[in-house]
Parts: sequence; structure tokens; C-alpha cells
Amino acid sequence: MQLARVEGNITSTVKHPSFNGWRLLICQPVDSEGTASGSPVVAIDPYGAGLHESVIVSTDGKAARRAINDNKSPVRHMVVGIVDRKEAPAKPLRKTA
Amino acid sequence: MRLGKVIGRVTLGKTAPEFDGARWLVVTPYNRGYFPDSPYPDDGRLSSDPSVVVYDNLGAGVGDTVGFIEGREAASPFSERMAIDAISGVLVDKINYHPLP
Repeated sequence: MQLARVEGNITSTVKHPSFNGWRLLICQPVDSEGTASGSPVVAIDPYGAGLHESVIVSTDGKAARRAINDNKSPVRHMVVGIVDRKEAPAKPLRKTA
Repeated sequence: MRLGKVIGRVTLGKTAPEFDGARWLVVTPYNRGYFPDSPYPDDGRLSSDPSVVVYDNLGAGVGDTVGFIEGREAASPFSERMAIDAISGVLVDKINYHPLP
């Protein structure tokens, strides 16, 4: 699962029927300091995350298909949680690279 | 699911039997600098990410913006064995994109 920041949403009328009625949020994967890393993904959102909120995005299609209740849906990314607070690790992580 | 702009279509001559009559789009994926109204315009015409050939049955044309799904999930809409790993899931009408720097 990835930590990401909500940076927008998309609207669409012509789509796979399983997406009907679902919010589609543009989520930008970020690292722990909040700087963007990687390209944005569009995730279905059952929790109503707001703009610029930090969320956790799951890339497991099986869980998303169960949530969307259609086993033939090509859905993959899904918001599985909205981050309240990020805690720094107790002791700084050792720099591996 | 990633967003991308359709820049062309592909017609295949010899294909696996299950690909008969399939429609293939060439899509340049939106990375952070390539969003249409993003304040960080990508200078080149194409996005810096490699283009993707996407199976399409929504009828996207050249110039449209599509959301396409990659990986094993791309084959889940099909009941029979389908060797694809990118499919168009949505045709995007409107993008509201407000990135933080």
C-alpha cells in the first residue's frame, strides 16, 4: 500500500459499468516528508477524502473488486484509509543507500 | 489506474486467437509534469514516461484522455484467458488537478 496525497479528481460518463457512482480521486504517491515521488494514480474512494489530504492507497485488485462488488471489474487502486497523523520513528532509520 | 492521452491506434496483423477484433490505443501516460492544466507543463509534446498500448472497448479516439489499468487486473473483465496487461477503464470528461509543489 502506498502513502499518497489527494491532488484532484476526475469525472467520467463513459466507463466500465462497475465504476458507476464511485468517486475517482487523483492520488499522488508521496514519501514520508511529503515530497511527490512517482506518477499520480486514480483510485476509487469510499471514504470521501478531501483535496490535499493524506491517504493510504491499496494496489490490490482483489480487495478493490470486492469493495466495488463486481468480480469482473478492472479496478485496481483504492483508498483504504485517510491519514490522521504521521508519527516519526522513535529512533532515526539507518540510511541504507 | 493511470491517466494518459491517446496519441494513436495500433492495428495488429498476426495475433493470438483471443485478440480477434480487438482495439488497441497508444497512450502517453500522464506523469506529474504532463497534466493538461498543470502548472508544471512538460515541455515535450509527449510525456517522459514510455507510451503504453492499451486494449480498449470504450471507444476512445485520438486526443481523448483515458484512465487505463495495468497489471493482472486488466484481464479480469474477461471470462476466457486473455493475455493483456493494460485496459482502458474510463474515458475522462473532466480533470480537476490541483497539485501541491
